Amino acid sequence: MRTGGPTGGDVLRRAIGGQRRLVTGAALLGMTHQACEALVPVVIGVVIDRAVATGDGSALLRWLLVLAVLFLVLSTCYRTGARVGERAGEQAAHRLRSELATRVLDPRGGADTGRLAGALAGIATGDAKRVGGVATVLPYGVAAVAGLTVSAVLLLRISVPLGLLVLLGIPPLLWLGHRISMPLERRSGVEQERAAQAGGIAADLVAGLRVLKGIGAESAAVARYRTTSQDSLAAALRAARSRSWHDGAILALTGVFIVLIALVGAVLAMNGSISVGELVAAVGLAQFLLGPFQLLTYVNGEFAQGRASAGRIASVLAAPAAVATGTGSVADPLGALRLRGVHHGALRGLDLEIAAGSLVGVVARDPAAAADLLLCLGRETDPERGTVELDGTDLTALDPTELRAAVLVAHHDADLFEGTLRENVPAASPAAQAAAITAAAVDEVAEALPQGLDTALDAGGSSLSGGQRQRVALARALAAEPPVLVVHDPTTAVDTVTESRIAERLRTARRGRTTVLVTTSPALLALADRVVVLEQGVVTADGPHHELAADASYRSVVLA
Amino acid sequence: MTASTAATIDEDTPMPATERELLPTATGAETLAVLRGLLRRQRGLTAAALTVLLLGTGIGLLTAPLLGHLVDLVDRKAGTGALTLPLVLLVLVALGRGGATAIGSALVARLGETLLASIREQFVERALRLPLERVEAAGVGDLTSRVTGDVALIARTVRQALPEFARSALTIVLTLGALAVLDWRFAAAVLVAAPVHVFTLRWYLGRAIPVYAEQRVATGALQQQLLDSVGGARTVRAFRLTDRHVGLVEQRSQAAVDLSLRGIRLVTGFFSRLNLAEFIGLSSVLVVGFLLVDDGSVSIGTATAAALYFHSLFNPINAALVLIDDAQSAGASLARLVGLSALPVEAEPAEPATALDGSVEVAGLGHAYRPGHPVLHDVSLTVRDGERVALVGASGAGKTTLAKLVSGVHRAAEGTVRLGGADTAALGPAGTRRTVALISQEVHVFAGPLADDLRLARPEADDAELRAALERVGAQDWVAALPEGLDTVVGEGGHRLTVAQAQHLALARLVLTDPPVAILDEATADAGSAGARELEAAAAGALAGRTGLVVAHRLTQAASADRIVVLDRGRVVETGSHQELVAAGGRYAELWSAWADSRVTTG
Repeated sequence: MRTGGPTGGDVLRRAIGGQRRLVTGAALLGMTHQACEALVPVVIGVVIDRAVATGDGSALLRWLLVLAVLFLVLSTCYRTGARVGERAGEQAAHRLRSELATRVLDPRGGADTGRLAGALAGIATGDAKRVGGVATVLPYGVAAVAGLTVSAVLLLRISVPLGLLVLLGIPPLLWLGHRISMPLERRSGVEQERAAQAGGIAADLVAGLRVLKGIGAESAAVARYRTTSQDSLAAALRAARSRSWHDGAILALTGVFIVLIALVGAVLAMNGSISVGELVAAVGLAQFLLGPFQLLTYVNGEFAQGRASAGRIASVLAAPAAVATGTGSVADPLGALRLRGVHHGALRGLDLEIAAGSLVGVVARDPAAAADLLLCLGRETDPERGTVELDGTDLTALDPTELRAAVLVAHHDADLFEGTLRENVPAASPAAQAAAITAAAVDEVAEALPQGLDTALDAGGSSLSGGQRQRVALARALAAEPPVLVVHDPTTAVDTVTESRIAERLRTARRGRTTVLVTTSPALLALADRVVVLEQGVVTADGPHHELAADASYRSVVLA
Repeated sequence: MTASTAATIDEDTPMPATERELLPTATGAETLAVLRGLLRRQRGLTAAALTVLLLGTGIGLLTAPLLGHLVDLVDRKAGTGALTLPLVLLVLVALGRGGATAIGSALVARLGETLLASIREQFVERALRLPLERVEAAGVGDLTSRVTGDVALIARTVRQALPEFARSALTIVLTLGALAVLDWRFAAAVLVAAPVHVFTLRWYLGRAIPVYAEQRVATGALQQQLLDSVGGARTVRAFRLTDRHVGLVEQRSQAAVDLSLRGIRLVTGFFSRLNLAEFIGLSSVLVVGFLLVDDGSVSIGTATAAALYFHSLFNPINAALVLIDDAQSAGASLARLVGLSALPVEAEPAEPATALDGSVEVAGLGHAYRPGHPVLHDVSLTVRDGERVALVGASGAGKTTLAKLVSGVHRAAEGTVRLGGADTAALGPAGTRRTVALISQEVHVFAGPLADDLRLARPEADDAELRAALERVGAQDWVAALPEGLDTVVGEGGHRLTVAQAQHLALARLVLTDPPVAILDEATADAGSAGARELEAAAAGALAGRTGLVVAHRLTQAASADRIVVLDRGRVVETGSHQELVAAGGRYAELWSAWADSRVTTG
């Protein structure tokens, strides 16, 4: 499905490359921090050796001063490094989010085909964050390597055999730990998912609370929730048990390893190859070294996750456009539409002419035919065969944005956006806005709201009823005053009285401009200049509503 | 539009956020009392978990003195043979510590998870039994965020923070004890750093809580903006709003990034201040060691052990302190859950009456959602057993409110409702729900197998009964066509049903509940006219054999009813059969002619 767009690797490289300076800075600071952390036990050893063991007070002061400087550098580097690294990650994620939004909302479309909004939002938040996270953890990885190197050098300087033992011993130790945890992790992943189920069910039951109350099903719902909760509890306990044994095993393994270092160190110290202070430092370093190794394992895991996320992001960015880019534009369109032999989905060779400035009703017996007609008119897709023309120009020759300025398709399930009622009806002038608001009877909607037209709507307009939403969507379409307006079932959820009022005003509102009403509502069809009936993907009847109404088959679709 | 997104709020109850009366939050004392009560039930488990963890931590603390002893042996050149015993002991310590940690963590997890399950069961049950009007007064979002967000936050704290906090806190306490055993002056030296800890913690908590709260809001706003823009991508393109919406996403994303970085500044500032405490503590332990070795009260080994003890405390101290933040948020969440118990339960009458048949008598009913804005005035209405009555009126006439009051989902401010001859107060909430069911405009498909969704209406129903109910509403064909029939997982995260299918399910639930009185207030409109006809047939099937009060969104629903009641601005203005009302030439005739005109006169 990709068409020469970026691959997951490209996305990852660009995300890190874009933050090159920050990542490098964080890495340098992180390296210094790790090196300082490694030096802390060494300095403790030196204090024991040179001050505590000898009773030399000035040595104590000197080395405590060194310790102070060490902590100062360590703390500053940690703080600055972490901030710089996180900034890199956050900025990379932000840039990816912006790219994703641009691609998904691109006028040519295509990136949202077959993807749910929730999934796309998840990619723009979760996946973008994980890819950005790679830029954040990369410096940690570099720092861990630096910490390893410094400790290794220090250890080897204390004693070559002891240093080699530590350095060669840690990888198998970690590998062993990984082997122990692998099956546990796999199992606990499944268990944790089941453990999370209780939360999902609770949310679902509360979301359906009105339904439950309506049929008095609270007790049944409570019983179901208890069962789910107990299942989740059992799963969570199994997961916790696995994890606990895993933690215990790792702890025991590490402990035994430290004992081994102590044994070898003690023997070496006993025969005088190393000092007591060096023994202390070696044990401290062995303990410290586990940190950088674990850090590397963690960075590796983050990289794997980041790669997978980058792949998902790339698949969105590289999605092929739904329609090709045309370059033409239409200046001052008259608004005449002509469809010639259009084949697309449920449309099978549709021929249809709509005169400029006319108001035409389209009745489709098959809802799929209506949907496909709208897709072709709004150029959300190009027909498989045949042409759609605006004022004699093939739509495929037009820039999609230019075309939509001339032809506006308002879908039946059009979404409202967050913002006030007024903001959802943008118009060129306040007069146009007011006219559209009156025509679609949105003024009545506003009357019922606490702040009228300035009432803020919830996301998707969910604070309004279906009928109210439809009226706002219709007002928005009218307020745009496009030369050609195609409206699909604009009043299905509106009560009859209001619908007939809207129908009366609609004609006036669109006077002199082309309007296509794809609907089965008799109230709207009655005001059209002519009504076209689509059956089997072609026009089977054409005439004014009152004439067609004599036909029984027309009546069965329209006059329920 | 699919069923899961089609939640419609009825037009009668616009409830501005500013006037919402949020559900109560418990005080700290009430929350602690609930927590203590829960812990008391798990007394044995609590004691066992603490004992094992103490044991494990105690064993772990033996490492440092054993290493110190090793240093002394080396210092004395005691010979390699003397090393055997401490080394064997060290190995035993490592193994013992691992084992005790495993068992201890498992016990802590068991304790935490059991508590968590009790909390969520207790409070979800409480939430589901709250009177609907109270939930709606607060906004359903308030309740949802408590049973999901707050429960999840407590769960996360219990799973991630509690075990680590327990281990860290025990390590700190026992290490201090061990330092005191070496020499009390070592413990005193460590405590020199404590003021820095206290100061840092206060500095952090004061700032972290508001920043994290803002961060959650910003992240939520970003997520919402993405859903808004991406979900409405078609509309964005049609109205050429691409630039505007990309701008909005960027703006919200930048806000989330900025807050996230503020959070990072805070956390890094926190840990870097703790570095100071580490230095102060370590230096004073070393100085005390120096002095004590100097005056001969402890050996070099003991001084080494003390320094190593404190070095090993760096991580536990950091972990415990940063987790206090989590504990505080979890406490706030728990208080919000416990707050639900402060609400009164619906009282059942001592001797509930029973409804004799499916008749409905409404007398003098009046109601207002907001004081001074009555939506119903003095409504009286009698429905005979088995009669089908349609409620007709424009949006805002009070149809939905009347439906809610009759079904007992809301309680009327004035007037009475009698079902089957018994007053709803005498029937009690349970009796009322057995007598009358309301199918509201809400379309919700419960997540899980379709059969489970239906069984909410009648838990003991077998598959044959479920199929019969589906057949009665004409849903058998599409259900049979689902990938796994009745076992198909539907709702959130499952197979997506259309709005019409979801409404079929609602009617099938009604058939299974089988109440003598049914009130239908479903919005058939969204399904288009063909779908609407099909659903009208389904509704007729579901209503057969019971009293039906139908809120008519389309006049065809009304025309076929036994009787029509016309509401206008909260009052009953007309009642009679279709023919009578058309002939009377009143409000209904007016509505009908508007409808019939548009249908031309051939209908």
